[in-house]
Amino acid sequence: MPEKKKFLLRAYIAFAAMFVIAPASNAMHIMEGYLPAGYCVAWGVICLPFLIAGLISLQNKVKENRRNLVLIAMSGAFIFVISSLKIPSVSGSCSHMTGTGLGAILFGPSAVSILGIIVLVFQAVLLAHGGLTTLGANTFSMAIAGPLVSFGIYKLCTHTKMNHRAGIFLAALAGDLFTYCVTSIQLALAYPSEAGGVAASAVKFLGVFAPTQLPLAVIEGILTVVIVIGLETYAKPELRAIGFFGNRKEA
Amino acid sequence: MLLIDRLSYRSKLRYVNASEKLLYAVATLALCVISRSVRTAVPVFAVNMVLTVGKGGIPLSRYMKLLLIPAAFLIAGTAAIVVNVSAVPLDAFAFPAGDFYITGSRAGLWQALKTCLTALAAVSCLYFLALNTVMTDILGALRKLKVPALLIELMLLIYRFIFVLSETASAIRVSQNSRLGNRNLRTGIRSFGAMGTALFILALKRSNALYDAMESRCYDGTIRVLSGEHQAKAEEILLIVAYEAVLALIWLMPLWLESRF
Repeated sequence: MPEKKKFLLRAYIAFAAMFVIAPASNAMHIMEGYLPAGYCVAWGVICLPFLIAGLISLQNKVKENRRNLVLIAMSGAFIFVISSLKIPSVSGSCSHMTGTGLGAILFGPSAVSILGIIVLVFQAVLLAHGGLTTLGANTFSMAIAGPLVSFGIYKLCTHTKMNHRAGIFLAALAGDLFTYCVTSIQLALAYPSEAGGVAASAVKFLGVFAPTQLPLAVIEGILTVVIVIGLETYAKPELRAIGFFGNRKEA
Repeated sequence: MLLIDRLSYRSKLRYVNASEKLLYAVATLALCVISRSVRTAVPVFAVNMVLTVGKGGIPLSRYMKLLLIPAAFLIAGTAAIVVNVSAVPLDAFAFPAGDFYITGSRAGLWQALKTCLTALAAVSCLYFLALNTVMTDILGALRKLKVPALLIELMLLIYRFIFVLSETASAIRVSQNSRLGNRNLRTGIRSFGAMGTALFILALKRSNALYDAMESRCYDGTIRVLSGEHQAKAEEILLIVAYEAVLALIWLMPLWLESRF
């Protein structure tokens, strides 16, 4: 049926072109009001233990030295600004970093959970990315799941004495990809497919967001490496101040 | 640089009590998401548009452009809900592709429409809050809701630092562009990395200097700012409650009638 095939081809071209015109193909924020109420609450509840742990760890850090509060706030603003800037992109459409990998590597996953939720609130209110009802789901995928994976891989790579840069690249890449997978699954759980259920729906959402998310993850990995290398070259004392080197002997 | 922030300072509804606006936005948002029906979504969207553009004085063209921000997500997400790949064709449309059909059902289309309208109405609630309320007022309202003090403090500081850092970032951007730093992908990545590094170093330096300045002015762990309190008006609160009640009625009435007859 050539007519039908032509139509399909046209539809696909239109769909692909959409991503070029789309004003800002941002990291995977689920938009305001897109999830049913039950899922909003459920994801919020799942986030709670992580957030409480994060808050306690921050409280301890601030008690230890009050200077840390300003430092932590500046780090949060840094993540926000980095994620709001346009990055060079392959397709020509503008996209943004998530900054989760970088944040997890620099500040550790517990601090990033709290910074992440604050950044997400600001992104919702100031940039209209994401939303208030979907805050729980977005926090889980972008401020908890992604950074945890990034941090885990980064630690694993430093322990196994793998190439430092490759480790950072892998950590940022995996964090981004994991965020993208978690978001797709979140959407799939809320909207299971009529033909094939949740699994089929997850595949559909993964496929739909792949054209923007896969290149973005690679770019994010490269950028994270470039930034961390730059910091290790020019900002050793500052990195020591935020406890980046930890108990690892400095190279 | 942050368009929404700039607009919120110009809004004519800026000086309405912030808790009231928060109550209105959150209650309407909750009702919208819980009901997920076209009946509530359409009036909510219309009322919010009238309030933000008409009462708040936000330019219509700006408002429309802002509504386009979530469009990419909306279109892609909805496409994923509507389109199925299956061995058996569903009832709304079906295109054969090899052994399978690219197909969709009526129920799926209806659900997609409902989801789209609900999402747009919810976004209009968010925009009402964001475009008519200054961030510091929102934080003040949150403080009254007993959100942990550390969190509020952190948010206040982060909000201030965002502007400091983004100003620095855009200055670096301009100078990089003027030196052909974003000529192609390769230089673009290098420039972005260099900017990230410089930004981080500057951020830490600033935060140290700022702490010294704050401590020399007797900072003891809480930042006290005078908040220009605008009294909540009883009639406005009544109006909000009545509006939410009407919305709930619009949503529940047909359901109730259906179950009766």
